[in-house]
Amino acid sequence: MANLPGATGSTNAVSTTSAQVRPTGFHHYLTLLKKDLTQEFRTKEMLTSMGIYSLLVLIVFGAALAQTASSFDILQMGGGLLWVLIVFTSLLGLNRSFSHEKENGCLEGVLLIPLDRSVIFLAKASSNLLFLLAVEIMVIPLFYFFFLTTTTPAETFWMIVFPLLVGTIGVAGIGTLLSTITINTRGKDVMLAVLFIPLIYPLLYACVSATTAVIVGGEWTMDVYLPALALAGGYDVIMILLSWVLYDFVISA
Amino acid sequence: MEKNAATSAIKVVKLTKTFGNRKAVDNVSFAIPQGAFLSIFGPNGAGKTTLLRVLSTLSRATSGSARLLGIDIKQEPDKARDHIGLISHNSMLYPDLTAEENLLFVAELYGIENAKDRVLEMLDSVELKHRRHDVVRTFSRGMTQRLSIARALIHDPAIVFLDEPYSGLDPHAVEIFDGLIEAVRKDRTFIMVSHDLRKGFDMCTHALVLSKGTVVAFDEKNSLDFSDFSQLYAQTVGMGVA
Repeated sequence: MANLPGATGSTNAVSTTSAQVRPTGFHHYLTLLKKDLTQEFRTKEMLTSMGIYSLLVLIVFGAALAQTASSFDILQMGGGLLWVLIVFTSLLGLNRSFSHEKENGCLEGVLLIPLDRSVIFLAKASSNLLFLLAVEIMVIPLFYFFFLTTTTPAETFWMIVFPLLVGTIGVAGIGTLLSTITINTRGKDVMLAVLFIPLIYPLLYACVSATTAVIVGGEWTMDVYLPALALAGGYDVIMILLSWVLYDFVISA
Repeated sequence: MEKNAATSAIKVVKLTKTFGNRKAVDNVSFAIPQGAFLSIFGPNGAGKTTLLRVLSTLSRATSGSARLLGIDIKQEPDKARDHIGLISHNSMLYPDLTAEENLLFVAELYGIENAKDRVLEMLDSVELKHRRHDVVRTFSRGMTQRLSIARALIHDPAIVFLDEPYSGLDPHAVEIFDGLIEAVRKDRTFIMVSHDLRKGFDMCTHALVLSKGTVVAFDEKNSLDFSDFSQLYAQTVGMGVA
């Protein structure tokens, strides 16, 4: 038992008995991301809970709209419904994304290691993005089956991929920053929603516009789609850069 | 202690940490040489853990300075972190990763060369090599604490902070923990926060008593015996032996 490596200790202030080379930020990023993915693939906690939740929301939408099918155009509402589904499912996932870090003080363990705090943000935002995209891949065919099989979406329907991608990047980035801020607050679930929805409102508005435009189609599709997508993309860049810059302060506080 | 200032492993000068209007740590100064074992005592709310968090760079001091091995933790926190290990009542281990994955994760973040070999070496040392593929969630408290020692020492830090490390350990686990600490003690500098006056006093070379965030006593142990110290503690803090 008393044969620990380095048991003689380090008398030298700088050198250590275990050889170390300061890794690059990219190496730190990959290590943190790999840890999140390993953990999720083992527990499937986020994917399962978000998947089941989104299915339940679809069922509720179906029940709520069952009696009104003939009185409104589902194509006009499709984009909005899809983004309601994505936003609420994301909130559930984002609330859980830091629960593992909180358990056993793991986040403090990471903060003890000399690494750029912004890399922690990037890695966590990337894992959140991958989990959200995985859930969207499962949910969008179901959404189509539930709501769009009784009607005919425009030929541009496939273009919903881009607002979904741009919107999900923003949701993951902003959500990661906010879930870090709310991790230690009382009533963090509500607090995250209270901060998250107002902050993503411009992004949400742009993504709903772009998604609706390509579902409905028509001559004016690109006139709405492209500016909305540009707005969403610009908002992503600004908010993610801001999150990157603020993260050191946020996580240290 | 001033005579040791040049060779101090840890030198703290007028360190203050406030939360709002409340001073959790108030104008604390002390210095200890390399190889020292400082035990910090004090009642609940005395500021022990806050002081340890500031020294381990987890929290920023409001004012004052602290140097670890001559490195200013405010100016160069990353450089200081290379030399810090922390063992606390929180294991800092991911419960759904295996023992090996947990240590490999930390080793790769520190940039340890031959990380896999180092991990196996550390697991062997804490007698957990046979459980390396098991997730930490299945470990007993004692096993988790042993693994957290391996985690804290994987980069061979010169300074080790212990924050209530005995919390929740049964007597056998305490014995194993003491053996492990003894094995790595030579020439490393330790700071331990503990409520256990007897154990903290037995292990230390220096003792510091905090009350309401301020240092009420700080001395080398060799000038004191336990009964003197417990009397001093009772007088300064206004409590009996813990």
